[in-house]
Amino acid sequence: MAVKIIETCVNCFACAPVCPSKAIYEAKPHFLVNANKCTECEGDYPVYQCASICPIEGAILNSLGEAVNPPGSLTGIPPEKMAEAMAELQSH
Amino acid sequence: MQLPVLNEAPAAKSGCSASSCGTTENQMDALPDSIREKVQNHPCYSEDAHHYFARMHVAVAPACNIQCHYCNRKYDCANESRPGVVSELLTPDQAVKKTMAVAATIPQMTVLGIAGPGDPLANPERTFETFRRLSEEAPDIKLCVSTNGLALPDAVEELSKHNIDHVTITINCVDPEIGAKIYPWIYWNNRRIKGKKAAKILIDQQQKGLEMLIAKGILVKVNSVMIPGVNDQHLAEVSRVVKSKGAFLHNVMPLIAEAEHGTFYGVMGQRGPTHDELQDLQDACSGDMNMMRHCRQCRADAVGLLGEDRGDEFTLDKIEEMEIDYQAAMEKRKVIHQAIQVEMDSKRLEKAEKSMQFKAEPKLSTRPVLMAVATSGQGVINVHFGHAKEFLIYEASPDGVRFISHRKADQYCGGDSTCGDGESVLQRTVRTLEGCEAVLCSKVGYEPWELLENAGIMPNGEHAMEPIEEAVMAVYKEMAAAGKLDAQPEAARASA
Ligand code: SF4
Ligand code: SF4
Ligand code: SF4
Repeated sequence: MAVKIIETCVNCFACAPVCPSKAIYEAKPHFLVNANKCTECEGDYPVYQCASICPIEGAILNSLGEAVNPPGSLTGIPPEKMAEAMAELQSH
Repeated sequence: MQLPVLNEAPAAKSGCSASSCGTTENQMDALPDSIREKVQNHPCYSEDAHHYFARMHVAVAPACNIQCHYCNRKYDCANESRPGVVSELLTPDQAVKKTMAVAATIPQMTVLGIAGPGDPLANPERTFETFRRLSEEAPDIKLCVSTNGLALPDAVEELSKHNIDHVTITINCVDPEIGAKIYPWIYWNNRRIKGKKAAKILIDQQQKGLEMLIAKGILVKVNSVMIPGVNDQHLAEVSRVVKSKGAFLHNVMPLIAEAEHGTFYGVMGQRGPTHDELQDLQDACSGDMNMMRHCRQCRADAVGLLGEDRGDEFTLDKIEEMEIDYQAAMEKRKVIHQAIQVEMDSKRLEKAEKSMQFKAEPKLSTRPVLMAVATSGQGVINVHFGHAKEFLIYEASPDGVRFISHRKADQYCGGDSTCGDGESVLQRTVRTLEGCEAVLCSKVGYEPWELLENAGIMPNGEHAMEPIEEAVMAVYKEMAAAGKLDAQPEAARASA
């Protein structure tokens, strides 16, 4: 049981110091979780610490491979609106 | 604490008569000695000192503990830098080396700040190690730090142990209703907290931190981001609150929101303030509070004087190779600082005299006029129009000359012959001068001359190497004598 950091991570460093298991390390091209060390915060906190401070939606997946912070959950930008804005930008 | 007026306030609004040709001398006189001492050579606080002294930032603090709606977290902390900027992250050791290398090479560098790329106090180990070492190894450098305030109360004790002379807190609101529209979440006590509850905690921490710093005798500057329709009406209240608690400067910065930054405000189409709206708010608050209008939202790793950035001279591989004898450098710095002080003092005296003279003359009755100035420091007009990275905007009126703001130029000419799509960049530059009726620089080329004239902005290269305030005053008098300032200009003011 472990969480996973994927390529949308922006290397902001926020997660590493808050992990109670010291499971997160700086790597290229982005931060990674040592699956052997990650305890999913069991026994320490009721919520994943990394995913509670991570500012990037979708950057951290739970053991089922689901985004802990799905699109729109952190920024408050409705996903349709984001898609619209990005399409708009690309058309220029 | 009674707040002295540091920046010129518009006479019409505050009844302060100090607003003529650079009244820095008089403003400084009004400050208590302990604060004056700290402020008068500070490039971020003293309008004339920032023509002589330089500051630098080191980017050692990547993490952040809150989210602001104008920040996408891929770039530097938008509270401290212009959005869209990415700084090279340094370890504390690299930051100390870089700071000492810069201080030895650019003796005018007197202030080292940590402002990002995230929140310095959300990275306490990295930030404090940098401060600890610099306090010991380079005691002639002043240290400053900026924060969103969430972790501030816990950091005050440690901050008070170093050479920290001031702290900047970004405070956008004192009302959680409004806060909830600016901050979607905070990380607090091992949880992510959202909405009004989050905003309330953040606001309480900011205010508590502010009070604790003041109690410790540490100078506090407050920054606010002006977000039209969200907190623009509220910032006068913010100004009043932070002033009553003892903050000595309140600096209002414009929101910069672009869809391509992917921020909430950018994507949702929240606009930033116009030059006029910003200036009106700064005016409304300055009767109430001191403003720092020359702030340019420099980048988290900026190096240099006035809008210039010499960061390229101090990349990691270059500083690795430098051998710095800091003791020797410190001696040299001291001599140079004294010489600058003498020059600054005499300039201040000169300005004060000029300002007395102007007040003694019969008062003109014209409308106010905005002028742009191209300078690279030393308080004189010394930059070619095409080389200006930014323009300083001054207002001349029957009450004298006052500094208003900086505007970034889109440099259209890099000095070589390959100006690429120069034309459109030049046009953009002319557009940033909207609202100004004259631009003073050391030289203006033929092409920009025409464009400027067509835009209703009078190019002027006649005051090269002259002190800014005097030149602006001279041009103002010419314009007044020519009857150009009797009525409102047709197009210029409306959209400025
Ligand atoms: S879930 Fe908890 S233990 Fe696992 S990496 Fe994240 S913070 Fe560390
Ligand atoms: S907090 Fe998120 S974005 Fe930041 S380093 Fe960790 S996983 Fe990457
Ligand atoms: S405090 Fe700075 S880094 Fe943190 S979210 Fe706000 S603007 Fe971004």
